[in-house]
Amino acid sequence: MAARHPARRRYRNRTLMGAAAYVATTAVATRFIPDGAPPSAGPIALAIIASAGALVWIWATARFLVEIDDEYVRMLQVRSILVATGVTLGVTNMWGMVELFTTAPRLPVFFVMPIWCLGMVVGSLVSKLTMGDAGESCG
Amino acid sequence: MKNRLKVLRAERDWSQQDLAERLGVSRQSVNAIETGKYDPSLPLAFRIADLFELSIEAIFLRD
Repeated sequence: MAARHPARRRYRNRTLMGAAAYVATTAVATRFIPDGAPPSAGPIALAIIASAGALVWIWATARFLVEIDDEYVRMLQVRSILVATGVTLGVTNMWGMVELFTTAPRLPVFFVMPIWCLGMVVGSLVSKLTMGDAGESCG
Repeated sequence: MKNRLKVLRAERDWSQQDLAERLGVSRQSVNAIETGKYDPSLPLAFRIADLFELSIEAIFLRD
C-alpha cells in the first residue's frame, strides 16, 4: 500500500510539478532580471512568481496530510514536518545570531525552503531509526 | 501498549498484508501496531475489534 497509495502518488506528482515550476520560473527570472536590479514593481513581481513552485510544494504537503487515510503514515509525515520545522528554526536562528554578532556572510532568506527540505530528510531518518519506518521527504 | 494482534492474526493464518487489507491500512501500520511502536486511534481500534469480533480490551492490554 505504501508506495502505491494514490495519495502518495499524487503527493509525488505534485512536488515534481512544483519543482519543475520552480526551476522554470527561476530560469525566467534569472533571464529577465539583471543583477543588482532595484526593487521596482517588475522585478519584484517576477521574483514573486518565481517563488510559486515553493508554494506548490507547501500546498502538496498540506494536501498529502489531508488525503492520506492511513493514520500511521500520517503520523510519520507529521513527525517529519515537526523535525523539519525545528531544524529550520534552529539553523536560521543560530545563523541569525552569528550574523548579528560577527561579520559572517548573510544567509539569504531564500535558503529557508531548502533547509526545511533537508529537515524533512532528517525527519524521515529520525522516524526510520526510532520507528523503523520513514515518512515522505521533500518529494 | 501491549496487544494480541499477532496471535489473533496467526490463529486465522493471515499475513500482515492480509490484515492490512481487511482494515484498509498499510502493512507498515499493522507491523507498527503489532510491535507496540504505535498505538492506534480509537476508531481504528474499534475496526480491529470488529474484525476479530472481540472487545477492544480483549485485544489491547494495559502496560
